[in-house]
Amino acid sequence: MGRLISGQTRKKVLAVTSLFVMGAMLTLPIFMALPALAGGGAPAAGGPPPDVVAAQSGEGEGEGDKVEIGRDVYYKTEGPAVGAPAPKTQDTEEFYPRYNFESRVLLWVANQQHLYYGSFVLAVPIFCMCIEFAGLMSKDKAMAKKYDQLAYDFIKISLTAYSLTAILGGILIFTFLTLYPAFFGYLSSIFRPVMHIYALMFVAESGTLYIYYYGWDKMKEGLLKWLHVSMSVVLNVIGTVLMFLANSWIGFMMSPAGVDEQGRYLGNIWHVLHTALWNPLNVHRILGNMAFGGGVVAAYAAYRFLSSKNDEERAHYDWMGYIAMSLGVAFLIPLPFAGYWLMREVYAYRQQMGITLMGGLLAWLFIIQATMIGILFLTTNYYLWQALGRMTGGERFQRYIKYFVFILVVGLLVFITPHTIVMTPAELKAMGGQQHPVLGNYGVMSAKNGGINAIIMTTIASFIWYQRGNRIPAVKWAKFGNIFLITFFVVAHVNNIWVACYGYFIPANVRIGLSVPQVAGTLSCLFLGSALNLAMLKQSKEIGPIQWGKIAPRSQYALIMLATAFTWMMGLMGYIRSSVRLFWHVNEIMRDNSPWAYTHTIGFAANVISFNVLFFWVSILFVFWLGTLGVKKAPVSATATVPSAPSPQPAPGH
Amino acid sequence: MVHLITEAVAFGWPFLVLVVGISFYKQAKTKDAATRQSMRFNTMVGLVAAFMLLIAVVNYRDNFGTSDGMLPISLVMITGLAFLMGIYFTNIGALMKIGGFMFFVAAALSGYGNWLPQVEGGFPPPEVKLDFQSMTSQQLADEGEKIIFGGLGQSKVQGAIGKGQCPLCHGFNQGFLSERAPNLWDIPARSKERLKHENYHMDDPGARDTAQTEAFEGSGTATTGQEYIAESHACPSCFVVPGFGVKGTNDKESPMPRIHKPPISLTIGELAAVDTWMYVREGVESPAYDEIASAYEKFIPEKDRPQASEGGDEAAAGGVLATGKEPITDLFMKAGCPACHTIPGIEGATGKVGPLLMEGSNAPKRLKDSGYEGRAKSVREYITESILNPSMYVVKDFPDNQMPKDFGQKLSAGAVNKIVDYLSSLEEGKDIPSLEEFN
Repeated sequence: MGRLISGQTRKKVLAVTSLFVMGAMLTLPIFMALPALAGGGAPAAGGPPPDVVAAQSGEGEGEGDKVEIGRDVYYKTEGPAVGAPAPKTQDTEEFYPRYNFESRVLLWVANQQHLYYGSFVLAVPIFCMCIEFAGLMSKDKAMAKKYDQLAYDFIKISLTAYSLTAILGGILIFTFLTLYPAFFGYLSSIFRPVMHIYALMFVAESGTLYIYYYGWDKMKEGLLKWLHVSMSVVLNVIGTVLMFLANSWIGFMMSPAGVDEQGRYLGNIWHVLHTALWNPLNVHRILGNMAFGGGVVAAYAAYRFLSSKNDEERAHYDWMGYIAMSLGVAFLIPLPFAGYWLMREVYAYRQQMGITLMGGLLAWLFIIQATMIGILFLTTNYYLWQALGRMTGGERFQRYIKYFVFILVVGLLVFITPHTIVMTPAELKAMGGQQHPVLGNYGVMSAKNGGINAIIMTTIASFIWYQRGNRIPAVKWAKFGNIFLITFFVVAHVNNIWVACYGYFIPANVRIGLSVPQVAGTLSCLFLGSALNLAMLKQSKEIGPIQWGKIAPRSQYALIMLATAFTWMMGLMGYIRSSVRLFWHVNEIMRDNSPWAYTHTIGFAANVISFNVLFFWVSILFVFWLGTLGVKKAPVSATATVPSAPSPQPAPGH
Repeated sequence: MVHLITEAVAFGWPFLVLVVGISFYKQAKTKDAATRQSMRFNTMVGLVAAFMLLIAVVNYRDNFGTSDGMLPISLVMITGLAFLMGIYFTNIGALMKIGGFMFFVAAALSGYGNWLPQVEGGFPPPEVKLDFQSMTSQQLADEGEKIIFGGLGQSKVQGAIGKGQCPLCHGFNQGFLSERAPNLWDIPARSKERLKHENYHMDDPGARDTAQTEAFEGSGTATTGQEYIAESHACPSCFVVPGFGVKGTNDKESPMPRIHKPPISLTIGELAAVDTWMYVREGVESPAYDEIASAYEKFIPEKDRPQASEGGDEAAAGGVLATGKEPITDLFMKAGCPACHTIPGIEGATGKVGPLLMEGSNAPKRLKDSGYEGRAKSVREYITESILNPSMYVVKDFPDNQMPKDFGQKLSAGAVNKIVDYLSSLEEGKDIPSLEEFN
């Protein structure tokens, strides 16, 4: 017994201890440099200590060096106004130097590209951590090796993109400095206490990532493997802190805190970081990054699948694409809930900001978003139906697909039907009111909720089909289970449709409450339906094996569609989030007086988003292609049914 | 299209030359005739593709920033080219097909964005310093409409929003659905009724159970309709109209931001303009600028009053005959009243075209006249109405349409107020008041 404890457990204890030591060492700078965190509001670097301030404010009346006390615009606390006021800019070369092109679009592109790459390289290590850990815990050696290889493939892609992220970060800063020096100078002065921490965290992230990647082979067994997995945790902690720090800038721009009405820093960096929208943005971005990262990896797998020269490669990348797609969709499902939280906080912070988003100038963009959500779910379903083709027995479900298509299309059409829309006077006159005489009656919220819930429930049903593709439940209660499952879904759909229709007959404020039974039905299908199905499949009869790689090539275009749509939606939502500030650099603190302080048309925004999406994909496809140049020389190991791939090789250029 | 082709050649000829040069070089190196023939075919396809790509790029370059919906077409062209090249250049076939597919998706989404109704945010209102005090009621009302709706005449446009951002929540037209905040139609009359509401507690702010009981300590409550409007702007939570509070607060807190604070930060002058518009658009006599400003000063402490930004244009109240800052005699002279009217106490004001302006005595009689159809209820309101809308009531034996109807544009609110003050003090049988009181 003692030997047992001193064996495997000791390794785990040592690994966990090492992990904590590493984590503590890496996060130590934060605690060292943020006295405000521990001091609960004391001035951070850059401001005099409170006793000095108190002494100055008490006895220095009439003297030149008196530090004024300012009131926090958000927290309403008082503090020494140690920072300079936000600059009052004018439309001149001094404040807004420019090329012969719209500076805002240049910054938009630079920012978006950095964000795409940043999101990707922050999301992928989370996947790696999960997959490597799954491999470590797996008792099946073949599966363990398979998972380990997959995790390695993931990090390899990420590493290649990592240097591009850093380059794009540099380009972003130069663009900022060149085109918006006053604005960037002001933000830098506010975030000065944490800017070096950000840089240090970036160094720590790079170091950990390189050790993690290059140490893969050396640390593949025993304690070292545990240490390796632990390093992925550290890597993700650092990455998450990095992202939180980056988010604090946009949080501050949208909902400033820690400054007074003139924009003067009040000495409490925690207030500056912890703005009204910081946490909702953090959660939303983590989930968004994961969904996006899944999409990019799925697209990579699709590319490798389509360019594969043999069945083994095809099998491996088919499996990789499936896992990446599943992960992406898994994080896509909670994303709307995080989005709701963010919007709720936006409304709580400034109601007019929320209305500008959802019912004002930017409302049409949410119609596009609704369409995008529909596209994502439709594509996911299409991929799953195609994936049934690689299973013996999957053909049993083919004849029902047309009914699913019908539900999905009708659901989508209802979901994107607008209700109250912003119109020109001519349109208003032509329509005879705020709402379309026909469509206006249909586009109520309960019906739209009904549309999206029908889509999600259908997607869940497709997943259940997929899980049953090559298997038949063999539990004793299989018949009862099937009847229950079908009845459950039918009741959920009937409830959803009935509530959707009922919404037409009740006032708007009562109608809002109808979303609860609709969402409850969908979540029940998700959790209860999936759990019941898995329980039924615990004892099941396998009709035939999953033939990885035997999937139609068009399915891979579904993965590419998913990835492109994720990327486009990310660009769209980023644009919406940024443009809601209207003519403020920092909301209500620093006004944008540049010639571009207006909101573009939807068409223009869509064009720039498309440009950003294509620029990102062209560049990353190039990176993928470069990756294949190195792999071609690597030996290929293969097994009969388990998807395999080339053994770990360092990414080109690293 | 011809223009695009010419532009494409001019723009990308070095690229085309490079493609041709490389392909000739490769063909020259190849000895096998069949391979060479295949390469020639590939070169032709590649050239066509490259040429079309250049057209697409030029189209992008020329139409970027326009909203003619042409840009997605470029993407569709690139899609086709990518697939074409994917077929012929098999070693990078997958890459090209994937790229082409992505271009197609992006083009479709871009096209969708261009197909939807195009709404542009427009520039923010310029930070100009206006002299509200010197404006006429109509000018003030016009500025008010701009602040609320973003421009003159925009109050009739659905979705129009100005600096004040009021229409985001408030309805302004009679019968208009206003779910987020009260409809402001009829607010001049309703404001007085609000003071009597059981939750208002006039003169007793301590009895209020709202999130904020006073605009600032010691400010007290409103006692007039105009003060109520000012208090609602400066301290929305001091009294919340039932049903319009923040959800879950039982109408104890208003979702409305304080109007003089960011993000809206209206100055007292701007607020006076907004209020004046709400009176004028209903044909109700607007309080004088000074009266509105005083109401706001009661609820906004001096340190919190936003100042009009500096450095902007000093927008003069162009075309105004009198600003109200003149001595009363000069004011009448500038306005031209003595030319037609006899005004007791004003030297030289002996005109006979119009009636004698002994309005302290005349106005009560005219208000009781069965032929009177105006809206005035008091002497002051009657005089104001007579100045701004002289045809509303025409005194017997005097012709209509003789008096100019644009005094609303020609006299500042302060000037009208001063004239009304003086004329209302003139009563038969009483001494003419000292002019000093009105200077």
